[in-house]
This record gives sequence, C-alpha cells and structure tokens, in this order.
Amino acid sequence: MELSRPWQFARDALAAFVTGVFMFPIFWWALTSIKPISAVFDKDRIVWFDFIPTSINYAVTLLGQSRSQLAIDAGIGMGVAGTEAYDSRSSILDSAVVSVGATAVTMMVAIPAAYALSRMAFRGRNVFLNWVLGQRFMPPIAIIFPLVTTYKWLGMRDTDNYYLGWLGLMLIYALMNLPIAVLLLKSFFDDVPKDVDEAAMIDGATRWETFCKIVLPMAKGGVAAAAVLCFIFSWTEFLLSLFLTTDIRTVPVKIQTFVTSTGNEWGFITALGTAAVIPGFIFILLVQRHLVRGLTLGSLKE
Amino acid sequence: MTASEVQKKDRLNWLTSEHPLPWLLPASALMIVFGVYPLIAAVLKTLYRKNAATRREIFDPLYNWTKIFEDPRMWDALWHTLAYTLIALTFQLVLGMLIALLLDSDRKGYGILRAMMTLPLVIPPAVTGMMFLLMLNGSFGVIARLIIATGLLPVGYSILGNSATALPGVMLAEIWQWTPFMVLIMLAGLRALPKEPFEAAAIDGATPVQAFFKLTLPMMSKVIAIAVLIRGVDLLRAFDYIKVMTDSGPGTATETLTSYAGRIYFGNSDYPLASSVAILTLVLVILTSTIFMRIFKVKL
Repeated sequence: MELSRPWQFARDALAAFVTGVFMFPIFWWALTSIKPISAVFDKDRIVWFDFIPTSINYAVTLLGQSRSQLAIDAGIGMGVAGTEAYDSRSSILDSAVVSVGATAVTMMVAIPAAYALSRMAFRGRNVFLNWVLGQRFMPPIAIIFPLVTTYKWLGMRDTDNYYLGWLGLMLIYALMNLPIAVLLLKSFFDDVPKDVDEAAMIDGATRWETFCKIVLPMAKGGVAAAAVLCFIFSWTEFLLSLFLTTDIRTVPVKIQTFVTSTGNEWGFITALGTAAVIPGFIFILLVQRHLVRGLTLGSLKE
Repeated sequence: MTASEVQKKDRLNWLTSEHPLPWLLPASALMIVFGVYPLIAAVLKTLYRKNAATRREIFDPLYNWTKIFEDPRMWDALWHTLAYTLIALTFQLVLGMLIALLLDSDRKGYGILRAMMTLPLVIPPAVTGMMFLLMLNGSFGVIARLIIATGLLPVGYSILGNSATALPGVMLAEIWQWTPFMVLIMLAGLRALPKEPFEAAAIDGATPVQAFFKLTLPMMSKVIAIAVLIRGVDLLRAFDYIKVMTDSGPGTATETLTSYAGRIYFGNSDYPLASSVAILTLVLVILTSTIFMRIFKVKL
C-alpha cells in the first residue's frame, strides 16, 4: 500500500520504535553485565551510561577467576569470598556437549524416519505420523518422574557417572527434538521431486543408494536447518535438565542458582545470560529462511 | 526365481532398505523407550498411594485422583494455567498480528527489523525469566521503576512479590519472548497472500480496515489457527518462567499444573501424587488441542 510521505515516515518510525522496545531487554542485560555493583543496585535512579565499565562479571563466570582476588587487584576493597560457585565454565561445556550430542542423535534417528514418511507407502503410515506429532504435544512433566527412576535403576544418573549423565540428557533431548526434526525433514524431502529417485531406482539403484546419493544431498540445506533448530532447542531446554541432573548443570539451570539467600548476583546473572544468548543469535541468522517452517513443524512455508 | 526363492526374498525383505521398518526403527525405539514407557509408568504410578510414614507404595487406584480433585490447590493451579494460557495467547496473537502488519513492507531496513524481531525466540526461557526478574525488581529494576514513575504503583512496589501482580509479571516475560513467534508466522502468512483481491477491494473503495477484516483475516485463518495451536500447547505446560521468577509464589499465586507437580515432587517426594498432577496436565493438553483442532479444522 502506498502511503503519503508523512505517513510513511510515521510508519517507519513506529516500526523502528516497536522493534526497539523488543530489543530493549537484551540491550539492558548486556549493559547491566558490564556495570559495577553500585550502578546495578542504585536505588535512587536508573543508571544508564554514567558508570565505569567492568569486565569482572565475565572474568568470574566465563574465565573462572576469583572475584575477591579481582577486587583486591583492582584496589576496590576486599571483595566477597566464595565465588567458585559462579564459575560457569563446566556448565557451558555441559550445555555444549549435550546440545551437540542431542542434535547428532536426533538427526541420526529423524533422517531415516523422515525419508520413509516422505517416500514410502506403508500400512500404519498415518499412525506413525500422528505418533510423532503427538510427541510434540506431550508435556515433559508427564514423563520425567519415571525417567528419573529408570536412570537411577540403570546407574545412568550424572551422580553415578558424569558421562552417562551427558548421554542420558542427550537421549531425552533427542526425544523432545524428534517431532520437529522428523516433520521438518519430511517437508524438505517432499520438496525433492520424486521423479529423480524413481528414475534412479528403475536403473537398479537400491533405496539406500538413492537416499544417500540423491535425496540427502539435494535436501542438505534443509537437514542443516533442522540440525540448527535442534541445537537451539537443546541449548534452551530447562525442565528436563533441572529434574534429571544434579552435578551436570546446563546453562539455563546454572543461571538460576545465582539467586542466593543473601541476594541475587545480578552481575554474574547478566554476564552468563548475555553469553548464553550468543550461540542462538548466531545460529538463528543462519536459518532465518527456514525458521517459520521449523517452528510450525513443516506445515507453513515461507 | 523359484517359489522358495521368492518366499525367502519376502521373508528377508523387512531387513532391506526397500522395507520401511529399518528406516522407522531408530525413531520408534527412541519414542518407545523415552516416551511411551515412561508415560505408561507414570500413569501406573498414579494408581498407587504413597504412605508417608513407611514410604511404601500401596495399590489404591482412586486415592490420588480423588485427592487431587478435592484439592483446592490443584483447582487454583488449573485456573492459573488456563488464565495464563488465555491471556498470554491473546496478547501474543493481537500484538503479533499488529506488529506483523507494521513490519510487512518491502522498504529498505524492514528486513533488518524483521530479523531483529526473531532474536528473542532463541534465548533460553530460564535466562529470560532471570532477566525479567532483574528488570521487575521493585527497588532497582528498570521496568518496575518506569511503571512506578508513572504513578501506577507505589514506590518500591514488588511486582513479583505481590500475589495480585505476580502472574501478570511472569506473563510479561512470556509475552515478550513469544510475541515474535506470532510476528514471524503472521508475516509468513501475510507475505503469501495474493495481491489481486486487495487491489480489487481498493478499487471498490474499501478502507484498509475493511480489507483487513474482510480479506486478510479470513485468508489467514489457517495460519492463525496453526500458530495458536502450537503456542497454546506450550503455554498449557508453562514452567520455566514460573520456576525461575517466582517459584510458584508468593504462596501459590503463580502455581500452574506443571509447577505444582514439580513442587510436590521436590517437596515431599510423593511421586504418585506428582504423577497424577503431571498426567492431568497431559489430559488437559490433549483435550484442549483436540477440541481446538476439531472446531477450527486445523491439521498440522
């Protein structure tokens, strides 16, 4: 629709303002993460830019340095003891390992299933499709208690064995990612014209060969997009990790432990929070084009 | 090929890539072991009564179910879950549609605005919750300070610490993070609309508002229904923001079904009772989504 110039200007300004409102919280966290404590907790006014930036929050959470030592070095007092609990390096490792592993497991089980759903006619196809879809609707709370018991029985808790704890999280994350991965991949495989692989099969290629040499390479953009989405969902997951693990603390679980009885460590919370959103921001820009399709389980295309 | 050879080929067929079984087996195994089995185990668990003193579980199929249906706390949690879902969904839908209309332009710069709008979607909800906890703090939180400056709330008022405003406070984080989801989907819907009906309507003298209600909305109905369904299911099992922002409090002011189940579980380890509330959440999700899909004829 054509607008007259003042109206067009008003619309541009409003669009920028609304987007700005939605960006503001992210900006505010990042800003808070470099503020000294006095600026964060100022009760008399809102501190915007008039403070001396500090990297101490990042040094403690991401590099594992001691806050009291840093405070002494900077000559700003004795600091507070006991900052080891805020060292988040192991949490970042946990999150990264579990997210990458979960993505790998999801893709390994989802790709073949999506291919079969896209290319084969078989009895029970709709049943299987609805089963996968139903999985997306299942509240994680409905399955988590028995899983805790089962993991305990199998000796798969992180308190039994840290690496098995990783594996346990990967597997349950893979289940949570499965519906989106299968349905999204199916929609990408559906986009590859069927004539191509049918022609190959008439020439004597097996299904496996057509899948590896034709369908998969032609849909590799879609496979990458599905993998990125699985990674993001695993990275942001909270409930399962909270209930299932004790020693393993993924970043979302770790960050809420910074709320203490003596006060909330806002500097550390904002620093870790800001760092935790960066992988997502990078990845989402890579899959911008397939985002709608992914979020609607392949039912809407952009 | 002899008859026996054909028979042998048939028998072995399900092991080859020509048969769907090998393709579906890994996904089925994962869904059975980590989905179906725990679900059945959880349902069976609800049939047992936990004796708090002896810590033994005794078969008593109706005990937990009568208990939760007579439990005023469960009804409160159910009510909070429904209110949270309906209110947040309405805000997300209306705001999402308005923002999508605003950003649906081919002019320079709008692409960047649209890309920025998707950023909240990838933030871990627990992180969002923590950050809104900071911004809603009554004495130094930036959002709370701005609201207090308008005079709507008294100085030092704790939004999340008062039962009257705690749930709206949690919803603010929810709405902030997931309105972009609606924006994104509505934008995809808007961009896919054909141009001709709108040109014809403009020639006939229809106002943009008329065109929106008579053309855009009906043509977008499928897209809107899908977005509402997906978001609604997630809202009904809301947990993350509530856990980190208020931990269901103050008191039980922000307790939803999922967070109530979690509290029973962590609180007194009554797994059977916690499972009953958890299974009730599942039933609620199945019921509402089935009814919704029937009424609006949506299929994912």
